[in-house]
Amino acid sequence: MDKLVIAEGAPISLDLHKYMRKSRGGKIKTAAMSKSGLAVNLTVLVLLGLTAYGFFTFDYKNINIAEAVSSTIGNAKVLFGQPRLRYNTFPGAMNALLATFSLGALSTIFGALIAFFGALLCAKNIANPITANIIKSFVALVRAVPTILWVLIFTVAAGLGSVAAVAGLTFHSAGYLIKAYAESIEEMDDGAIEALKATGASFWQIVFQAVVPSSMSHMTAWTFLRLEINFTNAIAIGAAAGAGGIGFDLYMAGSHYFDLQELGFITYIVVAAVILLEVAATRIKARIR
Amino acid sequence: MSILTFKNVSKTYDKMTHALADVSFSVDEGEFVSVIGPSGSGKSTLLRCVNRLVDATRGEIFFDGHDIIRAGKKEIRQIRKKIGMIFQHYNLVDRLSVIENVLHGRLGHKSTISGAMGFYSEREKESAFQILSKLGLTEQAYKRCDELSGGQKQRVGIARSLMQAPRLILCDEPIASLDPSSSKVIMDHLSLINKNMKITCIFNLHQVDVAMKYSMRIIGITSGRIVYDGPPDRLAESKIHEIYQSNEGELITDVR
Ligand SMILES: Nc1ncnc2c1ncn2[C@@H]1O[C@H](COP(=O)(O)OP(=O)(O)O)[C@@H](O)[C@H]1O
Ligand SMILES: [Mg+2]
Repeated sequence: MDKLVIAEGAPISLDLHKYMRKSRGGKIKTAAMSKSGLAVNLTVLVLLGLTAYGFFTFDYKNINIAEAVSSTIGNAKVLFGQPRLRYNTFPGAMNALLATFSLGALSTIFGALIAFFGALLCAKNIANPITANIIKSFVALVRAVPTILWVLIFTVAAGLGSVAAVAGLTFHSAGYLIKAYAESIEEMDDGAIEALKATGASFWQIVFQAVVPSSMSHMTAWTFLRLEINFTNAIAIGAAAGAGGIGFDLYMAGSHYFDLQELGFITYIVVAAVILLEVAATRIKARIR
Repeated sequence: MSILTFKNVSKTYDKMTHALADVSFSVDEGEFVSVIGPSGSGKSTLLRCVNRLVDATRGEIFFDGHDIIRAGKKEIRQIRKKIGMIFQHYNLVDRLSVIENVLHGRLGHKSTISGAMGFYSEREKESAFQILSKLGLTEQAYKRCDELSGGQKQRVGIARSLMQAPRLILCDEPIASLDPSSSKVIMDHLSLINKNMKITCIFNLHQVDVAMKYSMRIIGITSGRIVYDGPPDRLAESKIHEIYQSNEGELITDVR
């Protein structure tokens, strides 16, 4: 065989070129052929089109842009530069924060419990394919409806308040976590399941001796992610469904008292709480490996 | 006394892949049998029909007084309890400790709850350690399985199957992912288990030389059919080429 010269760009025999895919500029492609490239391009185009359409159809109400921008900056300065509480005490705000966190935690725990059993029924590698598909489609439907809407649906039965909030958050969390858990389970090594089957182990023994240990760390990560989502959702729902907590205080400060400084203080509290939650989650996840 | 009998067993996947075609043989108690054949010839399918990880399409299989093909769910668990299985990729639960994986061999013997929760008796734990020491793994007992080398993992696999106190051990390419020296360790252990504990062993192997060296009987299969069944010393070179459907000089075993 001839010496292979890569650096000098020596000409290679022409018949190799018929195997190469070229870009429009004549460069040799290396990625596997796929239809997804076209789909991505199309999606980006559609999104760009929609954005442009949005700008043209806004109702601008003769706003003076320069004035609007400058007063927004002014508001932001007050909001973030001079935070303080007037209508709430600090312990009161902390109490409200705790209430909101509890709302998020409770619905995450309920959701996780339901999702664990749901995921066992719809992970491809352990479930019966027919039930799996039925549950998966139902769960996709649950997820398609936004959390807030579920909460409002439950207020019809339970009235405005924390019961409807927990029920609605739990419902959507379960839908989300079933999918996430099922994917974690599907990712595990099927060999271990086969091996335990071969020893004569029963379904629940396989679940707790092979499936749970193998997918525990993924499931925990998903659960914490959902806890963060539920916490922030609980803030929004506090205002929307009258479930109380820090979200309700935020709503009162903003839409009722028009107090930017109070709004700023509460925002800082919420941001600090979310960061704390994130740090705690990262630590715990690092432990469970 | 035959412990396992196949009578005209066929297996068809998806109505088109004929993995086993009219396979008949029987294995006596205490035998050490190798099944050889090219990949895709149906070796794994054959082993999995024995413990019903795969359901045969036609024929009859008897093991230790059980009618395997007609066995109901409960009976299948009883059957599987008596049959150990060892895999090419070890199939351990990587995140659990060595000793926990060995104790998995007891699951078939336990109630669902105590097995699921991992409650084992002191007696069970002691015998797990005893088995580990036979395999030279006592120091690894509390390590997680993903910290072990391939050879060690396979020894854990053997320990798990011994924990079942099985009548029969099925080995699906037990050394295919191992280096030559670990392979020898594994084959020697299995050979000793067969001799000292009188446990019948059936092996899928693709190394013809290993099969010839260790087993007392070789079954050669090609495209799901048995083309050779007899002792290794009567397996002629030409028969090996028939099993692997190859010509003189094409097999790695021809390189001398
Ligand atoms: N689960 C399955 N579904 C469909 N076809 C399969 C399945 N398992 C094995 N086969 C096919 O059956 C044939 C025999 O496979 P296998 O028993 O794994 O052979 P070997 O272990 O000798 O390599 C192959 O053609 C394989 O593709
Ligand atoms: Mg195989």
